[in-house]
Amino acid sequence: MTRSRARGAGRLLAAATTALALVLTGCGSIDEPQQPQQQSGSDVDSRAVKSGGTLRFALDADPDKLDPTVARTLVGRNVFAAICEKLYDVNDKLEVVPQLASGMPEVSQDGKTVTIKLRTGLKFADGTTMDAAAVKTSLDRHRTLEGSQRKSELASVADVTVAGQDTVTINLKEPFAPLAAILADRAGMIMSPAALSSGKDFGTAPVCVGPFKFASRIAQDRIEVVKDPNYYDAAKVKLDKLVFLAIPDDNTRFNNLRSGDIEVEYDVSVVNVEEAKGVDTMRLIMNDSLGYQGITINLGNVSGVGKDPGTLAAPYAGPLAAEAKVRRALALSIDREALNRSVFRGVYAPACGPISAAAQLSSDAAQACPKHDPAEAKKLLGEAGVTVPFKLSMVIPNSPDNRRIGEAIKSMAAEGGFDIQLEPTEFASALDLTDAGKFQSFQVGWSGRVDPDGNLAPFVTTRGSQNIAGYSNPEVDAWIKEARATQDVDKRRELYGKVVGKLQEDLPLIYLWRQKNILGVSNKVGQVKMYGDGIARFDTAGFVD
Amino acid sequence: MGRYLLRRLVESIITLFLATVVVFLGIRALPGDPARTLAGEESDPEAVAEINAAYGFDQPLPVQYVRYLGKAFTGDLGTSPRTGLSVTDAIMHALPVTLELAALAMLVAILIGLSAGVIAAVRRRGPAEWGANSVALLGLSVPNFWLAQMGVLLFAIYFGVLPASGYVPFLDDPVENLRRMIMPAIVLGTGLAALIMRQTRSSMLEALTADYVRTARAKGLLRRQVIVGHALRNSLIVVTTVVGLELGALISGAVVTESIFVLPGFGRLTLDAVFTRDYPMIQGVVLFTATAYIVINLLVDLLYSVIDPRIRVGGAVL
Repeated sequence: MTRSRARGAGRLLAAATTALALVLTGCGSIDEPQQPQQQSGSDVDSRAVKSGGTLRFALDADPDKLDPTVARTLVGRNVFAAICEKLYDVNDKLEVVPQLASGMPEVSQDGKTVTIKLRTGLKFADGTTMDAAAVKTSLDRHRTLEGSQRKSELASVADVTVAGQDTVTINLKEPFAPLAAILADRAGMIMSPAALSSGKDFGTAPVCVGPFKFASRIAQDRIEVVKDPNYYDAAKVKLDKLVFLAIPDDNTRFNNLRSGDIEVEYDVSVVNVEEAKGVDTMRLIMNDSLGYQGITINLGNVSGVGKDPGTLAAPYAGPLAAEAKVRRALALSIDREALNRSVFRGVYAPACGPISAAAQLSSDAAQACPKHDPAEAKKLLGEAGVTVPFKLSMVIPNSPDNRRIGEAIKSMAAEGGFDIQLEPTEFASALDLTDAGKFQSFQVGWSGRVDPDGNLAPFVTTRGSQNIAGYSNPEVDAWIKEARATQDVDKRRELYGKVVGKLQEDLPLIYLWRQKNILGVSNKVGQVKMYGDGIARFDTAGFVD
Repeated sequence: MGRYLLRRLVESIITLFLATVVVFLGIRALPGDPARTLAGEESDPEAVAEINAAYGFDQPLPVQYVRYLGKAFTGDLGTSPRTGLSVTDAIMHALPVTLELAALAMLVAILIGLSAGVIAAVRRRGPAEWGANSVALLGLSVPNFWLAQMGVLLFAIYFGVLPASGYVPFLDDPVENLRRMIMPAIVLGTGLAALIMRQTRSSMLEALTADYVRTARAKGLLRRQVIVGHALRNSLIVVTTVVGLELGALISGAVVTESIFVLPGFGRLTLDAVFTRDYPMIQGVVLFTATAYIVINLLVDLLYSVIDPRIRVGGAVL
């Protein structure tokens, strides 16, 4: 009797607590929601900011090594933006603009010699001089250090020479137009030669030129950077300190922004974007990502990524790999708009190609998008002579979000005559499997690069470093090579349009959606910037007066 | 006593050795190449091969193990290939956080669990027992992550009286440290409080009907003296065992609480290391956890003799 009473009371108490929680959690959205104040870039927020203060910026993961040569993560690029400037940067229109360089690179007639002039009088955070010799040291390290992630990006560079105190010459093996865009990322970050030769691991105490300088790091917790008095434009830097916190959980990050425990949240979840409408103490900065998400199909990855493609064997061989019609049917059966609405609450954007509409080299051809047509999909399957429903397996990362995406794709593809067997796999294991070619299809994406070459060449050229599809098309290889060789922007735009058209015929990848870069910003701070590259910039940010 | 301690020490070393072997082989049995995972989306086969070579992941397993063990003996647990930071430093930063969290959670659990357990046993079949049982049921039923989220919503967002998350070292700012640790400690301690309450209640019920308690009452001792001095003290043996076992579990199992409250403790360190296949970090934290378990169990065994003089470690149990 006592036990049953207690059990009943426990249930009552639990129900009351749940009701209280539901009321509390609902409070933000029951009230008439306001549209979040959204900024597409940064200049909308021109409120005056005062000097001083510490800004806390929550990232969605703990960055990897703070060494530009070996760094690999997108979150890490946010830290570098504060402490390590590059030869070039991008502006709010995603144009490449000089940063440590004093002007755009001068390219010789044959396209094989690039001359870069540097700003003068610059100092690293350790007080040493940033000059052409330092640039050569950094570029050579990027090109040659064992384990460097920049090697492939700078593979076209034959050598770097110092042509004067403030001038470097880069000799190329072949013309390479994306070089300036590549130097607007980590490959263009210049490190203090004194710090590099100090014997300490550079990644644990990085020294570059930047509005802030590295102060300390605690694994899994925080990275602190402080205002650098040696910075050439120190007067514009308002904040005393910037603290990067690693908070992987989306809700926890958002709750911290709401409670005022952080001032800026990186990568706001689409779920919280909706909730943000009811919160008047914050605003969102949103813009289109340069990357994409989609399905990669194994066409001929028989001996591993980066190797020669071949003919697949069971269980990965079959009409999906052999028949473009089957892949086209799969592409037509997925309703990208509905996927965006149902899974991403309409926040993201449907995508049919690897090049963001925001990119400078985008074109109508690059944005062409076949319409959702399940009837046509079934017809194509009939023409291909395959049994309907056509069975295929798809590896998906095993997070709850990815499972939801996988289920939505499976359900849509069923309308077009497909029976997708989802294979939820832990991400590290999925990378292993797909690199080795042990998959039929894989739902995966790419964070994107400013120059379309970075979204194409590694993935779709023969033996590309990330060509897990084992795709090979001489025409695509030739167009990408031609686009690398010419400095003519219109010509490059046209060539990339042709590449996208061919990819939509061959479909080694079915592009599905393009994420948004979403930054949550407390209204207590102003002049925070984020461009299409998804990197937050705090060089002029501060607390509002 | 000396021989007992020596025996336990030898056992501990063997256990630790076995733990290193199991962990070393276990993490390598996981699918997922560490170098490929480190390379992330920007994988370049050449760079992956170089990472493997740089960290010795391409060496035969016995070579890797001997190298790891040799360094571990000298206190060098290596560096994280992902962050380049020293594993020992990372552990030294994370350890105080988790220890403090576990200690505070244990304090919360003991305060609530012991008092509720005693009340439930002493005031049977009344509102007090009913209330204590309800709290215990709730504590066992409500998942940590839910309680944590509700705590954050209520106290950080709506009332704004406590921070939502984060950690400030006690020596830097004791008040701020406690403000940030209160919620995590309550969340983590609730489940354990329920367990302690149930153990205390059942042990007390048994003790209260024992002959020695009846004798104590017959001798005219005050009710409070009988309950606290005789019944509770004898009941503490079982409770102490639970506390000892659960303290180890708190240290290694605080991952959910640490994640939600963004505490840079052991749990988060371990979880992230597993996901990123950070072998040196995983090996380091597991070695520490295993050591913590062994030391705590040893201390609990020694504590028995303090609580109950009839028990003498290494000697006869009367």
